Amino acid sequence: MKTRYVLSLLALAALGYGLYLSGQHPPDAVQGEYVRIINVHVPASWVAFLAFGGTLLGSLGWLATRRRRFDAFAAASAEVGVLFTALSLLSGMIWGQVTWGIAWDWGDARMASTALMFFIYLGYMGLRRGMPDETERAKRSAVIGVLGFLTVPLSYFSVNLFRSLHQTQSVRPDGWQIESGEIVTSMLINVAAYTLVYLVFVTWRTSQGMVPADTGVGSDLAGDAVVAPSLGGRDE
Amino acid sequence: MLLPAGTNPNAWRANSPVVHERCRVGAGQHETYTLAVSIPLLLTLVDAGVRLGSTTVLRNLSLELAQGEVLGIEGPNGAGKSTLLRVCATLLPLDTGSGTVFDAHLGSPGAQSVRPEIGLLAHQPALYEELTLRENLSFYGRLLGRRPGRVDELLDGVGLSAAADRRADQTSQGMQRRVDLARLLLIEPRLLLLDEPHAGLDSAAEKLIAAVVADVLGRRGAAIIVAHDTSRLADLTTRRLRLERGGLT
Amino acid sequence: MTFWRAAGVIMRKDLMVEGRSGEVLWITIPFGLIALFLIPLALPLDNPLLQRIAGPMYWVILLLFGMTIALRRSAVGTTPQREALRMLGIDPAARFTGRVLATTLLSLAFALVLAPATVVLFDANLPTSWPLLLPIVMAVTLGLGIVGTVAAELTRGLRTRTALAPLLVAPLAAPLLVAAAQATESLSRGDSILLPALIIAFTVLGLAVIGVLTAGPLEETQ
Repeated sequence: MKTRYVLSLLALAALGYGLYLSGQHPPDAVQGEYVRIINVHVPASWVAFLAFGGTLLGSLGWLATRRRRFDAFAAASAEVGVLFTALSLLSGMIWGQVTWGIAWDWGDARMASTALMFFIYLGYMGLRRGMPDETERAKRSAVIGVLGFLTVPLSYFSVNLFRSLHQTQSVRPDGWQIESGEIVTSMLINVAAYTLVYLVFVTWRTSQGMVPADTGVGSDLAGDAVVAPSLGGRDE
Repeated sequence: MLLPAGTNPNAWRANSPVVHERCRVGAGQHETYTLAVSIPLLLTLVDAGVRLGSTTVLRNLSLELAQGEVLGIEGPNGAGKSTLLRVCATLLPLDTGSGTVFDAHLGSPGAQSVRPEIGLLAHQPALYEELTLRENLSFYGRLLGRRPGRVDELLDGVGLSAAADRRADQTSQGMQRRVDLARLLLIEPRLLLLDEPHAGLDSAAEKLIAAVVADVLGRRGAAIIVAHDTSRLADLTTRRLRLERGGLT
Repeated sequence: MTFWRAAGVIMRKDLMVEGRSGEVLWITIPFGLIALFLIPLALPLDNPLLQRIAGPMYWVILLLFGMTIALRRSAVGTTPQREALRMLGIDPAARFTGRVLATTLLSLAFALVLAPATVVLFDANLPTSWPLLLPIVMAVTLGLGIVGTVAAELTRGLRTRTALAPLLVAPLAAPLLVAAAQATESLSRGDSILLPALIIAFTVLGLAVIGVLTAGPLEETQ
């Protein structure tokens, strides 16, 4: 508990500092003030993929050991991952729209594979809903957690292949570099802050997921709910 | 084996039934010995417990089934009879306690390897609606490696030769139950688990159950028959127990 | 009973059941064809545009409607049917493989019906090397069969199965879609299709390995 409080305070402090730096660094020579979105988009994208990796590790851990903690961790990571993936996509679309005039660049393999990852997360969480049996839920989620992780890099390579063969279709200028060291520093601080936030959320949700569904004491006994019917035949 | 007089047979045996006999030993002399016959146990459950969700279905349930036994288990709705059968079939893991089937521990990888020795008749038939009765049995026969002619023999044996080419979804519940019993004969199991076998069967077909049980006993097997009321099975069963509130009495 | 023999018996049974129910022939194929028909209806009259999108539309329709083949009712089976197969000691991986093979063959039939319809409705220009697309079609239908069979298994018994299963299949099949569309595009330009073919092969291989490895654990259920 104490560790979680310390971690939460650290995350808050890091977020605050990252926000401060986001407003302080100079604008970019190419993108102007819009470059500040990088302090949200890049960290959110990093955490989105980190969370996906967490779900993979949790899924593999459960399949290998059948321990509840791994399933709880995989699910918690997926939940947090959905949030940050949505944030990554949203910030990416805003950035694209204000900077290059197009919200969605089909030539960008990263955006496409992030979107696919988002749908896989949604499927993962959809699968867990309405499955009261713990073991069954953990088992099926673990399979999709592993399968999903396989397809995301493959999608990235596929779309990248398209982009490399159709260069003119990409609206983002290739080889764009961040020239200011301050922007890079700010971005990295925000990456660290978002990572701490991920850790706080995941540890909290994992511990919630570890709470047993029922204590076992006083649980229903089969057959107790069934008694002799009160409706009988005709009166004699 | 003969145990000397005074030996407590229950101390000797862990699980095997014991037959007591009074024997004549020597001319004019009578001595009492205990004849202990070791009958293999095909199934054991020790303090077995099963939970489904938040409901305890079976608790502290202990059971032994020896070769040659036909055990009848009766109980009210929701008592856990079908769950017990599925545990015995190794389809459902135990949450507490332990058990063995053909000496394989329940829950171990070895338990899956003994499944071909078990024949389970569930509430609903394991038939494919779109296939004919013959095609259904032939499918299982192919998986079991049985000779093709065996299917027609069994269909004839259960009285369904004339309906063999009828689709399963165009047959009655009783006919489907007969085919399911034929499927059990195809498997040639040593442990038979029957869940409400009489359901849907007419009186003429009820003797099929006895035939299936006899087939298994002939292979030195055993059977458990679950029903709401096992008095109908009085001629078949060697022992009857009642399942209520998760335990056997 | 060997692995492949068991898979073959199960595949044969699945094809027989499908042959009797006719779900693919009378529902899925017409449904896919009408989807193919609706797209040009929704677009302005522009033949060059239709020709340009013919290939990608073919793959999208194959993916979206082909997945319903893997999710058909007869492919999942009832609980007594599944338990009966478990009790026979059939290797779950063999059962999985049999189901995948049956679904793949049915999907291939769907793909082969869809292809000439696409050429006609979209006035597509087939490249002279179009036979090279046949192994691509076969590999894609195999990949779809694997993903669909896994998704059907994952959503078995769930009330939300009808909507959830496609939600699981679609993103997982995306690498197949992208690479197949790229292969078609490359072929029409006279370029090599080696890279897209490798991506498809790698995807199918990865899906097959995971599918076979998880078949056992997924089958051992309550």
